[in-house]
Amino acid sequence: MIRRWLWLVDKECRELISSRAWWVMLLAMGPLVGVSFISAVRTYAEASGLNGTAIGVGEAFSPLIGVWAPTFSACELAAAFLLPFVAIRLVGGDRQSGALKIELQSQMSAFARIAAKAVVLLGGWIVVSAAPILAIVLWKSYGGSVYPPELATVAGGHVLNAGLTIALAAATASVTEHPSTAAILTLSVTVGTWIVNFIAAVHGGLWERAAGYTPTAMVAEFQHGLVRMDVVLIALTLIVAGLGLAAIWMRLGVAVRRRASESMALGALTAAAVFLGAFVTPSWDLSENRGNSFPKADEAALAQIRSPLRIEVHLAPEDPRRVDLNQRALSKLRRVIPKVQIDYVSATSIGLFEQTSPHYGEIWYEVAGRRAVSRSTTAEAVLESIYSVTGVSPRGETEDEIFRGHPLAVPPKNAAMVFYGIWPALVSGAFFLAGLPRRSSFATHASEGGRQG
Amino acid sequence: MLQVADLTKRYGHLTALSEVAFSIRPGEVLGLIGPNGSGKTTLFEWLGGVLPADHGIVRAGDRILTARQRSAKVFYLPDGIAPWPTQTVRWALNFIVGFFGGAEGPPKGGFSRTLATIDDVVRQLDLTSLLDSRIGTLSKGQRKRALLAVGLLTPQPVLLSDEPFDGLDLRQSRDVGRTLRQHAAAGRTLLLSIHQITDAARVCDRFVLLSGGRVRGEGTLEELSALAASRGAPSSDLEEVFLALT
Repeated sequence: MIRRWLWLVDKECRELISSRAWWVMLLAMGPLVGVSFISAVRTYAEASGLNGTAIGVGEAFSPLIGVWAPTFSACELAAAFLLPFVAIRLVGGDRQSGALKIELQSQMSAFARIAAKAVVLLGGWIVVSAAPILAIVLWKSYGGSVYPPELATVAGGHVLNAGLTIALAAATASVTEHPSTAAILTLSVTVGTWIVNFIAAVHGGLWERAAGYTPTAMVAEFQHGLVRMDVVLIALTLIVAGLGLAAIWMRLGVAVRRRASESMALGALTAAAVFLGAFVTPSWDLSENRGNSFPKADEAALAQIRSPLRIEVHLAPEDPRRVDLNQRALSKLRRVIPKVQIDYVSATSIGLFEQTSPHYGEIWYEVAGRRAVSRSTTAEAVLESIYSVTGVSPRGETEDEIFRGHPLAVPPKNAAMVFYGIWPALVSGAFFLAGLPRRSSFATHASEGGRQG
Repeated sequence: MLQVADLTKRYGHLTALSEVAFSIRPGEVLGLIGPNGSGKTTLFEWLGGVLPADHGIVRAGDRILTARQRSAKVFYLPDGIAPWPTQTVRWALNFIVGFFGGAEGPPKGGFSRTLATIDDVVRQLDLTSLLDSRIGTLSKGQRKRALLAVGLLTPQPVLLSDEPFDGLDLRQSRDVGRTLRQHAAAGRTLLLSIHQITDAARVCDRFVLLSGGRVRGEGTLEELSALAASRGAPSSDLEEVFLALT
């Protein structure tokens, strides 16, 4: 059976290579990454003192935030707007050409068939990712610092995001009759996740929680070097569910009613798995500057707190101070004290008309009956308030623990030539070579001869 | 022996097939004959497992086959498709043998037959000059022969071919008919959907006459002639018999 599956993988590889959509994505990826990389390196260099600019913030400089997050954002763009068409072409093409009716008659399960497509699409995506890898090579050649764990985290996040896109596109291509319908449906889901993010920003609460698992939010966390187990588990669950849905609807010989009930059962199982996954708390900050964590001394101090900690925040969902508080302090706090209870109190979504309320803007901290209030949203102020109600005090931060950054005042030499010249030329050459007929790589049945009876 | 029974397929209010029943004997060439819209393709698609039906079973002896068991016995070659258009004919033939596990021999419990080799099929269907052509660039007749080769290389003991002579010229049509007979002689069971009755008369051992989604007659030409005669239209010509019974 493995051998038959490999034949299928071989077939899917050939179909991918003969797909112009994939070549267009490959071609576009160079300039897309190039624009982001060149702009990021230039900004990084100027902030690091290039051309006589002031070096005031150099010690805080992290290539993760300054270079890799913007450079890899090209992958996010390609995953949202280019990859779906490639995936739909590979999955829907079989139905359009009639190949599906032939291939369905093998004894292979529909999930194995869709898995072959997913594996090849992911492989195709990794080939496309050669463009950001070139950016890494260029950065190293400039003398830039590379911290492999954070880079691997960013790349891993984008692979996971591509997996989500592939699963979604496979499901829509399988459920719908025509590729154009599948494309509209896929983009609608993508836009739908943006709407969830928007609603979350306005209403907070459960929406905010759900928005944390949209591809945009997921990629943002990976781009900051943070790996959250719940996010990874939920993304993997959604990928398997998408491919499962595609497999269900690929079986043309099964009654639509049965396929619909199987889809509903799969949906219920997925919802349960996502719900459970949301309670998984481990996370790892793999960024060099520990941007997602409090200093180690503070984490050690916070870990000593045994009594339940409750924080009451009187800020509206759209108030920039609440966003600051979440990003700078509360998200870090949750990683150390997963069971911290945080309650938000507000009467409106933007908070503009609550400013006159005497308690608006207050942040209350409560541990074992002791309470403290503050209006500051910085990490330092939050920690100070927590220490004041708990009586815990941290040891001082050592010199080794302070991230000094890696300023680099070098312009993006040769990058334009690589991404706007060499890359398109190489892709065009490869496209021409791939267009030449190839023999079966699995030609065990003698391409000139035949199999024996 | 396979027996199809109680096959009914509706598209909304339209009944495409109604209580269709007939048998398929090992090693025979069975012609499914009917006018356009009589339900031939619907019947084939259901047998091939690519279309659901409202009712219907396939029996092998006393055993009712599941969909999976049916797909181990029956391969359906659709008409009017152009699979893998960017790949060559050579690749497609190799792929079919590799993907369907032809090299591993026929499925357990299948009718005994000698599996065709790629060489044989290429020679029989005159495909040598087309081996390195992309399927998408072939003419209708060339594609028909290439796809017939695909069907003949599959390991399932029963091959259903929808309109195998469509798009072929007279000479090719005769060559293809001869090839099909050779494969039947080697033990392959063939069920051919044909709307050209002259082609059917030349190639098939028995016939199932389908019209308006119902089986109007089943048997050899002699048996069908007798049936037509019993209805007051005696003839030994298949066309006349068909017109009398449908």
